Amino acid sequence: MRVQANLMIGATLVAVVLGTAALSLVWTPHEATRIAVALKFQPPSWAHPLGTDQLGRDVVSQLMLGARTSMTIALVAVLLGGGIGTALGLLAAAVGGWVDEVVMRLADFSFAFPALLFAIMLAAVFGPSLANAVIAIAFINVPVFARVARAAAAQVWTRGYVLAAQSAGRGRLAITRDHVIPNVLAPVTVQLTIEFAVAILAEAALSYLGLGAQPPTPSWGRMLSEAQTLLYLAPQLAIWPGLCIMVAVMGFNLLGDGVRDLSDPMLRRTR
Amino acid sequence: MILLILRRLLGFALTLLAVSAAVFFVMNVLPGDPAIVILGIEATEDARAALRAQLGLNDPAIWRYLAWLGGAVQGDFGVSYSFKVPVAELIAERLPMTLALAGLATVMTVALALALGVYAASHHGRAGDWAVMAFSQLGIAVPAFWLSMLLVILFAVTLRWLPPGGFPGWDDPLAALRALIMPATALALVQTAVLARVTRSAMLEVMRQTYVRTATATGLGPARVMWRHALPNALVPIVTIIGMQVANLVTGTIVIENVFYLPGLGRLVFQAISNRDLIVVQAMVTLFAAIVVSANFIVDLAYLWIDPRLRPRS
Amino acid sequence: MLAMRELSVGFAGGLALRRATLSVARGERLGVAGESGSGKTMLGLACLGMLPEVAVVTGSVRFDGGELVGAAERDLRRLRGQRIAMVFQEPLSALNPLRRVGELIAEPLRLHRGLSRAAALDRACALLSEVGLPDPASRLRQYPHEMSGGQRQRVTIALALACDPDLLIADEPTTALDVQVAAHILALLRALSESRRMALILISHDLRAIAAVTDRLAVLYGGDIIEEGPTADVLAAPRHPYTQGLIAARPTLSARRDRNAPLPTIPGTVPALAHLPPGCRFAGRCPVELPVCRSTRPAGNPACHRGGP
Repeated sequence: MRVQANLMIGATLVAVVLGTAALSLVWTPHEATRIAVALKFQPPSWAHPLGTDQLGRDVVSQLMLGARTSMTIALVAVLLGGGIGTALGLLAAAVGGWVDEVVMRLADFSFAFPALLFAIMLAAVFGPSLANAVIAIAFINVPVFARVARAAAAQVWTRGYVLAAQSAGRGRLAITRDHVIPNVLAPVTVQLTIEFAVAILAEAALSYLGLGAQPPTPSWGRMLSEAQTLLYLAPQLAIWPGLCIMVAVMGFNLLGDGVRDLSDPMLRRTR
Repeated sequence: MILLILRRLLGFALTLLAVSAAVFFVMNVLPGDPAIVILGIEATEDARAALRAQLGLNDPAIWRYLAWLGGAVQGDFGVSYSFKVPVAELIAERLPMTLALAGLATVMTVALALALGVYAASHHGRAGDWAVMAFSQLGIAVPAFWLSMLLVILFAVTLRWLPPGGFPGWDDPLAALRALIMPATALALVQTAVLARVTRSAMLEVMRQTYVRTATATGLGPARVMWRHALPNALVPIVTIIGMQVANLVTGTIVIENVFYLPGLGRLVFQAISNRDLIVVQAMVTLFAAIVVSANFIVDLAYLWIDPRLRPRS
Repeated sequence: MLAMRELSVGFAGGLALRRATLSVARGERLGVAGESGSGKTMLGLACLGMLPEVAVVTGSVRFDGGELVGAAERDLRRLRGQRIAMVFQEPLSALNPLRRVGELIAEPLRLHRGLSRAAALDRACALLSEVGLPDPASRLRQYPHEMSGGQRQRVTIALALACDPDLLIADEPTTALDVQVAAHILALLRALSESRRMALILISHDLRAIAAVTDRLAVLYGGDIIEEGPTADVLAAPRHPYTQGLIAARPTLSARRDRNAPLPTIPGTVPALAHLPPGCRFAGRCPVELPVCRSTRPAGNPACHRGGP
């Protein structure tokens, strides 16, 4: 029963966020970045359901574009880091020996650099930019996926049918393609969903600190950093972007939990 | 036993070395010419040449790294380009603030998370368990800096109980504590969400074990059974997560100091970035990464302390 | 001393124990025999008031005149360890792996008897020697994982004996042990019961273990006590078809048995909690079944519509 609830709520929230991001490509109620100082700090109305900010920009339109930024960054960063990490994990499991050792040591070691530290280094050297944020978030995903993929792949490599295929002269690449990858897909997918949530949080934090999305790109994190200077004047501006982050992160977390429960037959049977 | 600890210590030292080398590579080799980074492309070639000579940039990279490392182990991280004072001095000035914030947040996290996790596990499947799980799911999804703003809106803007930010210094400990209470709470609540969840599931696992029944059957009270018999056996996964959370704590502190305008290391890093003060940034990033690595090292040792089965036979 | 009357333990899936009536006198040794799923563990837990919270319990368990069913946790705690003690199966996981053996045994002594740390450790040392562990003083400083299975089971028995209980319940105390070690543990339990005038309930699927230790035997099947009597009598002349099957299915080392004949077994398995028949729970597996067996629960001793041979 609970499995279903996780999955349903998670999938619904994710669909709403992704749908909003997609919709913002073709339509927003107003032009999100149009400044109209005369209309600043408007209360909610039919024209501006959540009012306007200190420069008279429509809050709903900005939030919609923020969803797009957040989803794009998370998607690119997680796919990039996840792809490299999974490839390294598969390699480590397929070759074994010192390659395995080196890949896993590197994975251990890169845990010393949380995304923010990496972004700080890049920002100091290259100046802050959204691209740096993507690289930093992708970077922290590499060791995570390397471990997940290696653990799942190493299990497959010990199975009878793989040993049989090996003794029949099949190459490591062919075995990886035919037997290992299909078995690694499930845990990697679960991890993708969960890391998506982590990436949304990381992008928000980096943009909030000025190390991510740069003006005028709308972003939930950046909206919050602008709202922070106005907490006494217009506290409502600090509410909405945070709620959006929360809903998006919770959606992907619940979806990840649900997919994991679903893909783990052992767990499903005991519930 | 001693041999095992020595071996762990060696691994720890090697990791620290690798971390410092990686930071040095990203910040000194990747950008090509640090002099351009520091002075910007508008500076004259003469000025750049002078800076290169001053920073010793004309030496080969490996030599510069070794020189930097040699200084660093003696506590000399070079002289800040923008502040014109030794980096070590800058760090020493701001360290107490950051340590206090991180320490307070950690104490709150561990106390709250263990209480909630044990409570949820002992009320498994009932309303209390459900509430803790819902809180946890919520807390995991909330960014600490947003939670900070909500706290400011409530306690500073609306109720006017606490200052919205800034730090009055250590002369008045009560005022210092008042300035730290919101930042520490924001950090702690977010971390508690994760740790309480892990504590709960580890406890549920342990409570199925026969020795917990044995303890109950010898007439021990439920509190004693939970805290003295079950919880110690659940500590290995809990401590693992605490170790991993130190990384979040480091980044969390950096973020939160910027939310509350607290003059700690987190603020220093951002001042250094906007001043393009590579020397400071390099020292700080190395320091933060070293803290994360140290936490993992301490967790490794903690396993030995917790579980006699992991100790080598003497 | 312990009197169980019409005790039923129900779960969402059905009754794990159905109107069980049993009693144990001071110093008496009672065996409870049954396959896994027969409700014998629930019977043991009920004597300590340690049934799972989700269980629905009706009937009565009285110990020294005091009612245990529905008793306050605080009162039950005063009995546990001090008056009634229990040894669980799985000696390998019955001891907290993070505590030294001495501390484990000393803990209830310090808590219940208010002994000082040193005095409690002295007593623990004496207990270890009583349960037959050589070199008890140095054992105190060992961790459970540094001992063998049989040694650990001796420690759990010492722990159970710590506060001199009047009744010891041993739930499958010899599973996971070698045959020889198991025999030693059983002999120890019997000797302790005799020397301490301590009542013993031995719960086991192993009739030989029960025969070696106990005076009286109750046979459990699917939550029903189907036969009860002096151990020697029941084993010599079982009256319930299930007991007869159980005894026939016991492998013997007798040379007279035809080596080529298949081992006798009782066909089928104990019915699952959710699929218990309304009548006799042995119906369906019983070789001498009557039509009435399916519909009506038999009463009496043996609990059989045929009323025994």
